Amino acid sequence: MKKLVSLAVGMGMAVLTASTAQAISEAEINNDIAEFQGFFLKRFPGVALEDYVDGVNSLPQYAHRRANWELMMDFPPYEPEMEKAEEEWSAPFANGKGFNDCDLAPANTYPVYDGASNDLHTLVADLNACLEANGEQPIKNVKRGRMARLIAHYKSQFNGKPMAVDFSAAGAQTWYEKGRQFYWAKRGQLNFSCADCHVTNAGNSIRGDILSAGLGHGVGFPVYRTKWSMSGKPWGTVHRRYGGCNKQVRASPFSAQGPEYKALEYYEAIMNTGLPLKVPSQRQ
Amino acid sequence: MKRRIFLKGSMAAGAIAVVAGAGLLAPTRVLAATWPEAAFTAKSEADALKAFFGSADAQDSGDVTLKAPLQAENGAVVPIKVMTSLADVEAIAIIVAKNPSPFATSLQMAAGSAGGMFSARIKMGQTSPVNCYVKAGGKVYKTSQEVKVTVGGCGG
Amino acid sequence: MASTKMKIKKNKTGGRDVMVLAKHPMETGLRKDKKTGEKIPAHYIETMDFAVNGAVVAQANLGAGVSKNPLIGMSMAGAKSGDTISVSWTDNKGETGTVEKAVK
Repeated sequence: MKKLVSLAVGMGMAVLTASTAQAISEAEINNDIAEFQGFFLKRFPGVALEDYVDGVNSLPQYAHRRANWELMMDFPPYEPEMEKAEEEWSAPFANGKGFNDCDLAPANTYPVYDGASNDLHTLVADLNACLEANGEQPIKNVKRGRMARLIAHYKSQFNGKPMAVDFSAAGAQTWYEKGRQFYWAKRGQLNFSCADCHVTNAGNSIRGDILSAGLGHGVGFPVYRTKWSMSGKPWGTVHRRYGGCNKQVRASPFSAQGPEYKALEYYEAIMNTGLPLKVPSQRQ
Repeated sequence: MKRRIFLKGSMAAGAIAVVAGAGLLAPTRVLAATWPEAAFTAKSEADALKAFFGSADAQDSGDVTLKAPLQAENGAVVPIKVMTSLADVEAIAIIVAKNPSPFATSLQMAAGSAGGMFSARIKMGQTSPVNCYVKAGGKVYKTSQEVKVTVGGCGG
Repeated sequence: MASTKMKIKKNKTGGRDVMVLAKHPMETGLRKDKKTGEKIPAHYIETMDFAVNGAVVAQANLGAGVSKNPLIGMSMAGAKSGDTISVSWTDNKGETGTVEKAVK
C-alpha cells in the first residue's frame, strides 16, 4: 500500500485509502487524465498523443522492431477477417432484425455507465444483450473469434473519433476508482501492478520484449496477433489480453466481462480520453 | 522429381500466344514452367545460388535495398521487402543463410515487366543474415541484412 | 468466400505494386501433430503466377520457408488503368487458388 501511495503522490494523483474509496470527483478524474497523459508525453518527447494508439510500435525503444509492424500493415493479415466480420454483422437474426437494430452506444464511449443498474456496459455485453433480446443465442466465447470480429466491425466504423467515456455520475466514479486501484495494485507471484510495467517501466525491456506504454491501451482493440494466429485463434478482445497479462505475473486471471476487468477497461478507456479510435490492431 | 505445367487450360495457350505474339518473351528470358526444386532443396546458400542463377557469384550493390526488421517479432513470420532501381530485372531471390534450406522464395519476371520490388513473409529458424539477390542485365547483385530472432518475452 | 486476396497500389514509378495474401498452411513436413505424434505432411504453395490481361508477366516460387497464410508482393511496370491482374497459385499437392482484380 505504501508504494502505491508514494508512486501515486509522485505522479500528483489523488491518493485514496480503502475508507475513502468511493469519494472521487469528476474534477479529480480529469486531473488524473492530465497527469497520466502528461507523464507519457514527457517520458517520450517525440511521440504525439495520437501515436499512442499504435502501442509499443510508437516508442523509440521499439525502433529496431518497428519494420515488422510497418511491413505487416502493407497488407494486414486481419483484412480478410474484416470481410468475414462484415458478413457476420450483416447476417439477419431469425426474427428478421439484425445487429444494426441493436441499441448500441458510439464505440468511442464504451464502457458506458448505467445508473439504473449501477453497472458498466461493455460493447461485448451490449451485443450479447441484443442477441438475447432478439431470441438469438448469446456468444459464449467473449474473448476471441466471432465476438472479436463483430466488435472490430462495429468499432472500425468510428475510427478517428476521440475516446470520450462519460464519468459524470457518482456511481461511475466509484467504478472508475475500482479500476484505478486495480491498475495500481500489486498482484501475482511476481508482485507487479499494471503500472509497474506500463507506467514506471514503459519502454524498458522485459525478457525479450519492450514494455508498451499504458497510454493507448485498448484503443485499438480487438487485436489481431501474429502469436495467436499460430494456434489458429488470432483475435483477442481487451479482456483476453488482461487475462494473459495477469497470468504473466503469475496471478490467477479474472473472468472476461467480470467486474474486475470491466472496471480496469473503464479506467484505461478514461485515461485514453481524446485518443482517436484505430480498430483493429496488428500486433506481434 | 516433379515437373508440373503450372499454366492451366485456356490461360496457358492464351498467355503464351499473346505474350509471344507481342514479342515480350525474349528467347533468353522464358519464364520457367517448373518449380526450381534444386534451389529449394539445397542445404547451402552456394548450392542454392548455383541451382537458381547458374552461379554463386554476386556483387554487392547499393542499387538493391532491403526493408526488414533488425529484430523479428516472431521467427515464423518475418516480413522482408527487396527493392531495386536496376534496369532489366529478371529475377529476385531471398535467402536465409542459416535456415536448414536457405532458399526461401524467388520471383522471375518476363522481359520488361519488372517494377523493382519483391516482398514476402518468411520463416527464420534463428538469427541470420537475410541475403537478397537481384539478377539484372545478366549480372547478379546482392544486398544483405542480419535479422535477429529471439524467443519472445511477455505476450499473454 | 474466396480465400486468396489481392491489393493493388500505384507506386512511385507509375507501375503497380501487387500484394497477394493466400490462406495456406505452408507446412514444412517436419511438424508433429500434437495429438497423434505423427508428422504433418509437407503442404506448401510452389508457384504463383502474376498475369496482366491473361499474359503471365511474373512467377513467384515459394517453399515451406515462406510463412503460413503467405504474403507475396511484387511490382509490375506494365499494368495500367482498365487492365485486369490475375494471380494463380499451385501447391505441391496440385491444389490451386486464384484471384483477379481490375486496375483502377
